Amino acid sequence: MDSNKKYWKGLEELNQTPAFVENNKGEFAEPIPVEDVLNEAGLSTRTPRRDFLKALGFGLGAVTLAACNRTPVHKAVPYVIKPEEITPGIPNYYASSFNGQSILVRTREGRPISVEANPNGVGLNQGTDANTVASVLDLYDMSKLQNPQIGGKDVEWSKLDATVIAALTKAAAAGKQITIVSNTVNSPSTLASIAKLSAKYPTANHIQVDAISYSGIVEANKNNFGKAVIPSYNFGNAQIVVSVAADFLGSWLAGEEHTQDYIKNRDYKSLKNGKMSRHIQFESGLSMTGSNADVRIAIKPSEEGAVLISLYNEITGQSVAGGTTNAKAQTAIKLAAKELVAAKGKSIVVAGANDVNVQSLVNAINTQLGAYGIIIDLDNYSKQHQGSDAAFQQFLTAAKAGQVGVAFFLNSNPVYDYFKAEDVKAAIAKIDFTLSFADRAEETASTLNAIAPVPTYLESWGDASSKEGLYTVVQPTINPVFNTRQAEQSLLVWAGETTNIYDFVKQTWDTTILAGTGKSWKDVLQVGYIYKGTNQGSSYSANVDVNAVSSAIVADAKKVAGEVELKLYESTVMRDGRYANNAYLQELPDPVSKVTWDNYAALNPKFAEQLGLGENGKVKVEANGYSLELPVVLQPGQAMGTVSVALGYGRTHVGKAGNNVGHNAYPFAALVNGTVQLAAKATVTKASGTYELAQTQTHHTIEGRNIIRETTFAKYLKDPNSESGRFSDTHKTYDLWNKFEQPGHKWVMAIDLNACTGCGSCIVACNVENNIPVVGRDEVRRRREMHWLRIDRYYTIEDNGTKYTKEKEIAHIDDFENVTVVHQPMLCQHCEHAPCETVCPVLATVHSSEGLNHMAYNRCFGTRYCANNCPYKVRRFNWFNYWNDSRFDNYLNNEFTQLVLNPDVTTRSRGVMEKCSMCIQRIQAGKLQAKMENRKLKDGDVKMACQAACSANAIIFGDANDPESEVSKALRNERVYYVLEEINVQPNIGYMTKVRNTFEA
Amino acid sequence: MRNISSVLGRLAKSISISLVLLFAVTMTSNAQDAKEGAALFKANCSSCHKIDKKFTGPALAGMSERHDEEWLVKWIKNSGAMIAAGDPMAKQIFEEYNKVAMPAFTQFSDDQIKGIIAFVKEEEARLAAGPADGGATGGAAATNDANNFMIIGMAAIFLLAIGVIVILSRVTKTLEKVIANNQAAVEAARVRNESVEETGKVKFAQKFLKNKKLVGFAALMVVGLLAVLGWQTMWNVGVHQGYKPVQPIKFSHQIHAGVNQIECQYCHGGAYKSKNASIPSANVCMNCHNTITASDHYNGETSPEILKLYRAVDWDPDTRTYGDNPRPIEWVRIHNLPDFAYFNHSQHVSVAGIECQTCHGPIETMEEVYQYSPLTMKWCVDCHKTTEVNADNKYYDQLIEAHEKLKKGEKMTAAMIGGLECGKCHY
Repeated sequence: MDSNKKYWKGLEELNQTPAFVENNKGEFAEPIPVEDVLNEAGLSTRTPRRDFLKALGFGLGAVTLAACNRTPVHKAVPYVIKPEEITPGIPNYYASSFNGQSILVRTREGRPISVEANPNGVGLNQGTDANTVASVLDLYDMSKLQNPQIGGKDVEWSKLDATVIAALTKAAAAGKQITIVSNTVNSPSTLASIAKLSAKYPTANHIQVDAISYSGIVEANKNNFGKAVIPSYNFGNAQIVVSVAADFLGSWLAGEEHTQDYIKNRDYKSLKNGKMSRHIQFESGLSMTGSNADVRIAIKPSEEGAVLISLYNEITGQSVAGGTTNAKAQTAIKLAAKELVAAKGKSIVVAGANDVNVQSLVNAINTQLGAYGIIIDLDNYSKQHQGSDAAFQQFLTAAKAGQVGVAFFLNSNPVYDYFKAEDVKAAIAKIDFTLSFADRAEETASTLNAIAPVPTYLESWGDASSKEGLYTVVQPTINPVFNTRQAEQSLLVWAGETTNIYDFVKQTWDTTILAGTGKSWKDVLQVGYIYKGTNQGSSYSANVDVNAVSSAIVADAKKVAGEVELKLYESTVMRDGRYANNAYLQELPDPVSKVTWDNYAALNPKFAEQLGLGENGKVKVEANGYSLELPVVLQPGQAMGTVSVALGYGRTHVGKAGNNVGHNAYPFAALVNGTVQLAAKATVTKASGTYELAQTQTHHTIEGRNIIRETTFAKYLKDPNSESGRFSDTHKTYDLWNKFEQPGHKWVMAIDLNACTGCGSCIVACNVENNIPVVGRDEVRRRREMHWLRIDRYYTIEDNGTKYTKEKEIAHIDDFENVTVVHQPMLCQHCEHAPCETVCPVLATVHSSEGLNHMAYNRCFGTRYCANNCPYKVRRFNWFNYWNDSRFDNYLNNEFTQLVLNPDVTTRSRGVMEKCSMCIQRIQAGKLQAKMENRKLKDGDVKMACQAACSANAIIFGDANDPESEVSKALRNERVYYVLEEINVQPNIGYMTKVRNTFEA
Repeated sequence: MRNISSVLGRLAKSISISLVLLFAVTMTSNAQDAKEGAALFKANCSSCHKIDKKFTGPALAGMSERHDEEWLVKWIKNSGAMIAAGDPMAKQIFEEYNKVAMPAFTQFSDDQIKGIIAFVKEEEARLAAGPADGGATGGAAATNDANNFMIIGMAAIFLLAIGVIVILSRVTKTLEKVIANNQAAVEAARVRNESVEETGKVKFAQKFLKNKKLVGFAALMVVGLLAVLGWQTMWNVGVHQGYKPVQPIKFSHQIHAGVNQIECQYCHGGAYKSKNASIPSANVCMNCHNTITASDHYNGETSPEILKLYRAVDWDPDTRTYGDNPRPIEWVRIHNLPDFAYFNHSQHVSVAGIECQTCHGPIETMEEVYQYSPLTMKWCVDCHKTTEVNADNKYYDQLIEAHEKLKKGEKMTAAMIGGLECGKCHY
């Protein structure tokens, strides 16, 4: 039987607030005043019936007249000389890379329209993060610069070149430094071009600084191993994972790659083999990683070090001073340590703090656990985060002393993302000539002398090396759209070289990377990457003075410790703020809080209550001499006495969509031990006013019906059917309708709740594939977001084995720290007995012989009955022509940006219902491909956009009529259940129970 | 008028022809050879040479003056050998024409070659005679005359018309006088007849109005007529069957697909592999039209329509080079499906094996293309209901198996395997 555990989406649902109850009654936020108009009193209202009918009559006449138009003449303009590889109507794929991940770019008629992971790549190869999928929109961003600028005025490239070369010559003559400030650069070609400039101007130097710094890890590894690198982590080999405030599935280092490996020990295939890893998370704010943990302990930021000291003591049996005093944490640490030691060689501890001492202690623990080599790879180390806080400090000092003659900023925006913007501004003011390679006049670039705008990666030649030994190529999929030039090309020109960028990249590869591999440049362009590293690193042993490190940790913790502590974090969606103008990302709900279009102060509900705060409240957060007024999110799972604020918001010079969204939290950070750290002692006070966040958590709620199935690993091992609560196991079902034959294909999907981390890249992939409009903050507040696929996040409270089943009990618990979370992707279930189909008066939504619920947009006239009748609440109504309405001028209201639209999918117009089509355009294309090749359709020929974006392989799609297909196998799994099976709508999407590998009490 | 001018034109033509003939007769020496030469020239030389202008090879006019006959015979037989042997003149020509060697014609006898040379001379003379001699001037005079004739004719018609008007007005006036004279008599007669006539009309109207059934029936008929008309009009909103817009280039499918039997997919290559059949890019046209200029039909000039193509691809037929200023041809799209309907050519052409003509009509006879089919949903559905699935395709194996079980003996149509479902075309 299914569990009677209480699941809730938000506190308003838990507490059944009047607003929630009211909203919950209808499918739509604003009811239409039909009854008011039609009853007798309606005549005297503002819009009386007669006026209504008059308006209706006039409208009908006017529309008829307006429609009396001559049919427009359509022109068909073929190529003059058609490129050989292009056939209109057929997509081309190019291997490229984004942030070091090998990807495939799909182009249609020469324009890139979507990005997917390269399935043959090394590292992350079965999905992408939300930023990667969304990156295609950045190409069509109208907020970018279209010409190089000097002093804010457009100039010719020749003029800019002359100016820059003059400045360089002058600086070189005066013996002043020429500094290139960049974020992490791992591209061999970029480095080579910088070397060319350095060769011409000997005073030139290159420093790297990242908005989110990982210097602490680099420094610790330098001290402990003599290797100043960030290792690669292979979570696929880890059976026990303890994370202390590291959001390693989200924003920490290579989150998406970690997800891919981590889930391999937890998904249905692993469970089938009776194996599942255990994950214990200690953290302040509820991160996405924390929401997926088996055991999660809420701690204050100041306790992070202490937890690690205690853990070290438990593992080694030593008694280093400074262990944690938090009772809950102590128990968990004891259990965790036992497990860690038992699984030596298969266990790992990671910590999120950017602190040399904390990371040194972690290195010591991991050495004890024997994690080096198997899980932590220091040989094939990561090259994605090489920024050095110390180097940037030196640069600022030198600049303020007037020693820097020229500074170039490459992908670096310190005026926005450095915690002391004034220092940066003061330094810039002292530099004779400053230039940015930004693609737009962002916060830093707009204060500099000149901007040499660069094209996006989709228009560029280049390369990347995200990991030692791994080289990926960046190849253009379209000519540069604007009058831009790659930074590498500019550097070459200024260094007096005449090579064009293509030849330069090719030369770099031919001479350095490809030498001795037997591979040619053309092979690389086809495959997209080359890997020269090894499969596994060798073993290392950290040389750490634990006592010294621990006392330093304790001393530093005291500075942060306070009644209220602030924790800054990198949002999984917005990251460091680089992609803030990407509307797809802005509207992607945060995996945990489900807030869109804003950052906020996350407070524990009980803590907020103490402060006198409720829903829609605002607080003033003060720390490190900086203060912000932020809207409050009552975040279950947040540690008491802590406040979490996301970085990456509050950009002011990024573009239409991203300007002034949220508030900039970078100034809260501080330099501690030579690294930028994201925790601080803070004060939180109630601020006046209210602010309604565009939070989707209780939109489309399922009336408290029991739709989540959850079990524990121990129970699962005893009985794989445990808690799956299948209705059909215990009930006989009856059918009103005749069976509908589906002899060809029967498209079904299986979703593994244990694999889904809630990251949301599937949502963005769905947006891009299906031309789903972004509606903006106000419309999200009205519950009008258009996402066909949403991820419902359910909280439940489990305290010391006690399950809370009644609202009343929950109301009496003292804190909301011990919540557990289940993420459930929810999309059209393509029910065999679809309730939407029976109520459509015009048969706009009907069933197909392949098991799909079709939606004919041109037939729909917008009664919205279907949405009202859908038990899963997955139907979306177009209230406006979002792509052609000046009120929704986020991104798509211009002809250029509209080129991002997928030409195989109709853009829906106002007044039409839409919903997940199961990427029918992909199904049809896959079938056609098989027919053209005169063969049967193979499993895996058709992939859904969401499936292709999921690095956790949580979404499995295929043909149920093929018993050997992956999805058929998955659906035969004992864990499979169907949501709301009891109402006999016969959904075609099966879910697999969530399994939690908790400690056995 | 037109007749007169055409008669004159014909006269001028025949004069010029007879002049040419006269001229030709004077040079009968090689006439017989030239006749054979003409045939040989057409078969072997004309694809690269023109008499009066440069083509792939040099213009042939005046070649007998430039080279002696012996040299020409040798050259035509095997130009390559001459170049290799280092003949200075041969080398010069070879260099001048981008080192494109003329193929050897060793199969020709010397006499045959002389025949060709004779033909070329004859043609040259004919062409020279054309503009210079009486024929052309005569023609010009004739056209001038024709113009004069037209003016005179117009004037005559004008005068005639005035005459007619004058006469008519006179007749009217006379008649008016007669009427005025007979006014009284007419009045009297009217009064006499009035009562009888009027009562007849009124009676009929009154009778009609009194018969409510009849009135109702008539009203019903009118309403019904309007309804039928309205219904038909409404159904045809957005249906553009027969749509035949004027295209920027007068491209004739009748010549290309009909007369020359060019396979449809040579140009519309997308039809078998993509959803778009696609209008060919201009470079596909140039595959043939870099040599085919249709000059036979335009007095030796390149067809003006083909010149439009040259302009689009920026091709200079004299130097035979492409420029860098191409201008795409903006065709008017004839077959417009609404955006919400997905149609894929390859599914129909490659998979189902449907002939282009099934939907596009007798395209090989169309001088100008028009929309043959209504392209309505009913039209699609009707076809899907009756068209049998091409069962040769292995993709359908499973479906056919299932179908055999379900309905023995009946053919499997597209409709039966889901060809009528909304999502097949609308997504």
